[in-house]
Amino acid sequence: MLAVENLVKQYGDLAAVNNVSFGASKGSVFGLLGPNGAGKSTTINCISGLLSPTSGRISVAGADIVKDSKNAKRSLGVVPQELALYEDLPAIENLRYWGKAYGLRGSALDARVQEVLDHIGLADRARDFPKTFSGGMKRRLNFGCGIVHKPGVLLLDEPTVGVDPQSRQRLFDLVETERDAGACVLYTTHYMEEAERLCDSLAIIDHGQIIAQGSVGELKAKLGARDVLQLNGDFPGTDMNTSLAGSGISDLEVISQEDGVLTLTMSSASQHLPTIFEKITSAGGSVSETSLRSPNLETLFLLLTGKELRE
Amino acid sequence: MRFLIASFSKDLARWRQDPMAALLWLAIPFLIGGLITLMVDGGDGASPTGLLLINDQDDSLLSGAIAGAYSQGQLGELILVELVSLDEGTERINNGDASGFLIIPDGFTAAFLNEEPVTLTLKTNPSQTILPGIIQDVTEILLDLGFYAQALFGPEIDKIQTADTATVPDDVFAADIAVQIQGKMDTVSPHLFPPAFDVQVVEPPPSEPRPDIALLFLPGIVLMALLFSAQGMSADFWKERETGALRRLVSTPGLLSGFVYGKALAAAVIVALLGGITLTLGFLYHEVTWSKFIPSMLWITIAGVGLFAWFAALQMLFPNQKAANLLTSILLFPLLMMGGSFFPLDVLPEWIASIGRMSPNGFVADRLTKELTSPTAWTFDGKSWAIILTMTVSGLAICTWRLQTGFARR
Repeated sequence: MLAVENLVKQYGDLAAVNNVSFGASKGSVFGLLGPNGAGKSTTINCISGLLSPTSGRISVAGADIVKDSKNAKRSLGVVPQELALYEDLPAIENLRYWGKAYGLRGSALDARVQEVLDHIGLADRARDFPKTFSGGMKRRLNFGCGIVHKPGVLLLDEPTVGVDPQSRQRLFDLVETERDAGACVLYTTHYMEEAERLCDSLAIIDHGQIIAQGSVGELKAKLGARDVLQLNGDFPGTDMNTSLAGSGISDLEVISQEDGVLTLTMSSASQHLPTIFEKITSAGGSVSETSLRSPNLETLFLLLTGKELRE
Repeated sequence: MRFLIASFSKDLARWRQDPMAALLWLAIPFLIGGLITLMVDGGDGASPTGLLLINDQDDSLLSGAIAGAYSQGQLGELILVELVSLDEGTERINNGDASGFLIIPDGFTAAFLNEEPVTLTLKTNPSQTILPGIIQDVTEILLDLGFYAQALFGPEIDKIQTADTATVPDDVFAADIAVQIQGKMDTVSPHLFPPAFDVQVVEPPPSEPRPDIALLFLPGIVLMALLFSAQGMSADFWKERETGALRRLVSTPGLLSGFVYGKALAAAVIVALLGGITLTLGFLYHEVTWSKFIPSMLWITIAGVGLFAWFAALQMLFPNQKAANLLTSILLFPLLMMGGSFFPLDVLPEWIASIGRMSPNGFVADRLTKELTSPTAWTFDGKSWAIILTMTVSGLAICTWRLQTGFARR
């Protein structure tokens, strides 16, 4: 349903998106997980036709977004990060306008608008202006405007930014309903929990490149059963790789060591803590704070990039 | 085409939610235009009238002649004369109810004839500036005239004075007086007639009747409303971009040209509404022939959309909304000045007017002025229509181009 092949978007010397490829099928949610500035929005903007790719190919429901943009856009629904609404038009008129932009007319438009209003829970506020809505209601209307034409491919660009937990849950339900109705959903986020909750498969993106891709289960398996241990302290001029080499911990790996933060991965980390502290102390270092995390997408990101997902 | 209609109805519905904007666009030109019209057209040519109160205690032929002198000729249009008692006159001048109060004392005629000193009292109203001065000047001139008449015809006046008033003077007496006066007139007439200077009255060459000056302001006022509304509506592109609606639009199959032309159509309705109200009131006030109303409406509507398009194109060149609004607002005032909204082009020096006519609004206002002030029917000048149509279409084309080449995508 959605195929992105070797997508490159270059701004001068900077590659905002560098050779990105992924595909998503009907009735599934594909997640693009990465920190701010990783290239998620640029990828989405290329898919939605806002940006022209420097190279590569994007196909939406079989239509090339560059060569056959009109047909590709017919199958595309976009829910942007910002609230792209007309505050001075009633909710129903917002939906009608965007429905018309996708070519819906007459009774088909009326019926679909009513259906969407019910779906997003704004049927009783249809004649009210968005300026009178809460943030969550505006988000739902924003979502409704993106699905009013029943798109085959739905692009959601960080739709939960600035949304309270209750509204976030409601948006998740809406996404799942669209997926269950057969839509192919591309969901970008930098919240690991959202990706884990919604996505059937996902790609982790950083600096414009995909660094891992697969189902949530597959990606977690890459970590194995290894925990991530993060130590804050003083490690003066010490190469901890060498210092910890003789610790006897078979799968220990130093992920990063910078600015007084040492990140390690190993299985059953809690059992090995005394050994690790001893090795650090004997190498002339000290530990002031310790944090231990079980394997998840965030620790995978940390493992792959050496930095936090939300940095 | 369908999306054009969708875009048009969307914008129209949005403008309906903001009637204050339209009211402001209309109110400012009305306020300025109303003040200007009142200034140049107020009072329909009538001169201000002052009131001179006269207390004639002498009640003689001469004192009556003085009172009558204020009512003669053009002076009579300026000054109303009312005979009053001393108390009433004093009270009214003290209350500021008159421009002046002249007291002619008892014995004025006798003193005049006997060449004795006499005092006329003139009280003026200090709260008025012009009319009391005129009254004072006229009074002094009358007294001077009396002095010279006395000096020239004193013996004759004495004879008349001493004549037996109980009987009608005989023909010999009258002829004698007349001959003496005529003799003196003959003596002085070489010095008085003909005057040392000659006044040649030159009739101005026949010219077209000058139009009502207030009517010259009407096109400028209409254009002011158009400029305010065009500039205000053009900011909507930025508003839609800031909400993200333009970016969302790019991801739909709806055409950007349809979006722009729909917006232009909505702008045309607003412009026609505001221009229509202004024109209707102008036509009623200045009694312009109604056959010119439809072409005038068409002319200002097309021109208004053109101004909207060019303001929008200009707005889209700026890097942010604040700069765009600020600079287009700043541009408004030179355009209003140059284009004849504050001073009609017809009353400006020709070199300034010719520059003004080259500004878009000046061109439109000038053409409208010519048609509205012309005694003939509206002349459909193909060249002028082609110019504003080109201006409008090219402005809209630039807007579409700017949307497609980046403005809508950021």
